[in-house]
Amino acid sequence: MLYLTLASKAYARNLQYRGAHMVHNLASAMFGYMYACLWIGIGADHSLGEYGTQGMVSYIAFTQSSLWISGFLTNGLGIPLTVRTGQIALDLMRPVHLFTHLMAREWGQIAYQFVYKSIPIYLLFSIVFSLQWPTEVSTLLFAALGLAGASYLSICMNYIIGVTAIWTTESSWLHWGNHAMMNLLAGFFIPLEWLPDWLERLAWLSPYPFLLYVPTRIYLGFEDGSLLWGTLLWCVLMTLICLVITHVMRRKVEVQGG
Amino acid sequence: MKRTSWYHLYKILIRTSIRSRMQYKFNFILASVLAALIQISEFLMVALVLHQFGAIKGWSLHEIGYLFAIMTLSKTLYRTFGNEVHHLEKYLVGGELDQLLTRPMPVLLALLPQNFRIMVGEVLQGGFILCWSLAGMMHSGQIGWTVIPLSLLIIVTGAIILFSIGLATATLGFWTTRIEELQTITEDAARTAAQYPLTLYPKWMSGILLTVIPVGFVNYIPSLYLLRGQGGAWVLAAIAAVAALCLAASLRFWKYGITKYQSTGS
Repeated sequence: MLYLTLASKAYARNLQYRGAHMVHNLASAMFGYMYACLWIGIGADHSLGEYGTQGMVSYIAFTQSSLWISGFLTNGLGIPLTVRTGQIALDLMRPVHLFTHLMAREWGQIAYQFVYKSIPIYLLFSIVFSLQWPTEVSTLLFAALGLAGASYLSICMNYIIGVTAIWTTESSWLHWGNHAMMNLLAGFFIPLEWLPDWLERLAWLSPYPFLLYVPTRIYLGFEDGSLLWGTLLWCVLMTLICLVITHVMRRKVEVQGG
Repeated sequence: MKRTSWYHLYKILIRTSIRSRMQYKFNFILASVLAALIQISEFLMVALVLHQFGAIKGWSLHEIGYLFAIMTLSKTLYRTFGNEVHHLEKYLVGGELDQLLTRPMPVLLALLPQNFRIMVGEVLQGGFILCWSLAGMMHSGQIGWTVIPLSLLIIVTGAIILFSIGLATATLGFWTTRIEELQTITEDAARTAAQYPLTLYPKWMSGILLTVIPVGFVNYIPSLYLLRGQGGAWVLAAIAAVAALCLAASLRFWKYGITKYQSTGS
């Protein structure tokens, strides 16, 4: 119940800025449109494998919309800010686990971004590019599971990045590094099979493909749900890391004062 | 006050700003390196596609690298001197602009040196891609050495155009107070779009990028002449004229906008 309240409060807080977010959606849609134009340009001279030009446009439309629930989360789940203000000491004293507390709040944020960002952007792309929607219920179900797993993984990754602020005082560099990895290894702009062989193999050793590439491939009907086992595995692994890191953190807290 | 005294004052303000930034040296170095890393990942994304498919609409990797590098370096030059224009919202929302208005100097002159930004990461990254793409094209005989000084020239005109776009967008904040969302469109999205050949986009979009938000003049139009020999030397003169026109128009708009300023308090 507590977690539901935390999530719904985070959702409600965002509702105040709906107008501004709609303008921002337009900018995000412009980025997606631009990337789609790039692929249309490439598709004019080359065949684009199993995707084809329209398939690549659908690919970009889906990844760009999904970014709002698996990429653009609260930086470090807000921990760096609470470290700077000293609030983290109070947060750690609460009778709720820090990880689940922050995660509940972030789920509210993700739910908001899904409704007010991902869906409007995808609908806009659907109209502009006349996108085909999946007809099978199972495809939609697996894609939804893939996306939920991606959001969870992203929450864990942001939590780990956030927690490092306690020891480094400056965790924004990890946040940037994470962003760079998303660009290259998550299949955001270029599907993984077109990466150089060594980079593709490296990508599959990391959780990044499960953030965007896997849900997109499932949604477009190129994969069945079997890749979701990978998502599950990473979710379990990341959860363990988050729990261990919280345990370590509780033993030595340095706050920077107000 | 005489023009030379304004210049002297500007120099002092910038020196102060640099000193304050250098208080956290480690942070500064780390942030620079990581800024370069982000830039690399963005360019690698396209480089990987080109590696797989070859040219995009006849534009080679070196040519797209050139478009990318000129845009990065022009933006870096603009943000080094005009960073606070991009962050005007902070002044509008927090009411800090009131303090600057009371100073006995033009508001822009007081605003710009507030935070002189040294962007080593961007310079390194942009410079590296520029040298690499120029070397590649010179090696294949596509361009001669004259492109080097001309490239430096268009980086400056490009910075003026980007500054003008930034200033015009910031000025709208005198009416709307919040400008960040708008900046994402006029500055970030437009600039990213112009990192690729404008022929990739539908006519209406390339039209907008050459008129309403003239980022196409920063790198694309000069590249048509410098790399592909389209048009004559007049292209460069025309670009300088576009830059001057943009600057004059945005300064005029800024002056008008500031008369409409209403403090929001803190």
